[in-house]
Formats: sequence, structure tokens, C-alpha cells
Amino acid sequence: MIRLQQDDFEVGEFIEEARSRGTGAIVTFIGIVRDDGIEGIELEAYHDVAEQELAIIRDEAMREFPLHNVDIIHRTGPLRVGDNIVLIVVSAGHRKEAFLGCEYVIDRLKQTVPIWKKEFRKDGEHWVEGE
Amino acid sequence: MKVRIKAFARFREIIGSENTLEFDDGTSVLSALKSLSEGSKDFRDACFDKEGAVASHVVLMINGKRISGRDREAGVLHDGDELAVFPPVAGG
Repeated sequence: MIRLQQDDFEVGEFIEEARSRGTGAIVTFIGIVRDDGIEGIELEAYHDVAEQELAIIRDEAMREFPLHNVDIIHRTGPLRVGDNIVLIVVSAGHRKEAFLGCEYVIDRLKQTVPIWKKEFRKDGEHWVEGE
Repeated sequence: MKVRIKAFARFREIIGSENTLEFDDGTSVLSALKSLSEGSKDFRDACFDKEGAVASHVVLMINGKRISGRDREAGVLHDGDELAVFPPVAGG
């Protein structure tokens, strides 16, 4: 599943969904709002294009590595410290490709997917510089 | 012809999330961005470098596809196109 959504996600449901008879490894990545002295963040997205690009990244990962399934759920809107930002669930026959596939997805996501993060602090707000 | 210009993050805060503008057929990306900057010094400062070229960090898309190289300025817009302008992405 590829989705941008305001609501939180249930990690366990995606992990259970990723199980199949041939699956030997499931790797999950969860990005979380870190307490860097911030009060919260706001995530903005070019919604349709971001979902298209997430689908492209999933397809690239599945071509590059022998994966069974890739789910990417990214949240938008206002979030507080400790909230989930992004979930990536990668399943494969073996651990090595599951780890590599998951790393590939989060690295590409940070490079290309049109999503922006604004941090709110006591002394003001600022957009996080992209990589 | 009509072109929809979408802006995100810092750019959205300057010119609003969406502007539909009327241009002559064959208008380039650079001309469209210059038109937008006429009414906003903040947009001009954010979008262009000191030489008046589109700043290298600005990301441009036409109909959801990134444009690069010469097309970032010389690319021709068509009726109904959606031109998006935004800073480097920072998701995840």
C-alpha cells in the first residue's frame, strides 16, 4: 500500500499483512518526530505527485531487490513530538534484501518525494532545509 | 492559454498555494516565473539568483514531472499545464 494520510497508522496491522508463506524477513522503518527542542511540526505535501513518486520508489526497490512487498505510509498535517511520520514495511525471502530494500526506500523518499517539514519552536517557526 | 501555478512550503507562503494565470501561447517557464515575481519581491528573492536566473535549489515540475537542464527556463508551457515551484524536499 502507498498512501499519504493525516491519521496515524497501526504498525502491527501492516506487519501482519506483509506475512506470507514465502516470507522469511520483514523489516520496518518508522520515522518519528524527534524532540530537538521543538513544540511540533507540520508536514505539507504535493499530494498526488508525492503518492506517484512513492509508488515509483516502491517499484524501483522491487526491481532492484528480490522483495515480496513494500508498503509506504507517510503522514501529513500537524504532528507532535513522538508522533509517527512515516512507516515503511518491506518483506522478502531473506533478511539481507529486506534491510537493503527498506534502506533504499527511505533514502530515495528523502531525496525526491515532494513533502516539506516546518518546525515550530518557542522562538518561532522555520522550514527544514531539504537534503 | 491558462496555466495553473502551484507553490509549496516557503513558496506557498509567499504567493499562495495556487494561481491560475493567463499567458500567450508558447510562454516559457522563465517568463511565467518572472510574471509571478513582478508582484512580489519576496518571490523574486526566493526564486531567482542575483543574475536573474532561476536559483539552482528551486525545484520545478510540469504536470508532476521534474524539469531539468535548459527546460528549467526555456521549457514551453501549454494550455492547462500545471507548473509547480518549491524548495528542496524534506520528508521522512
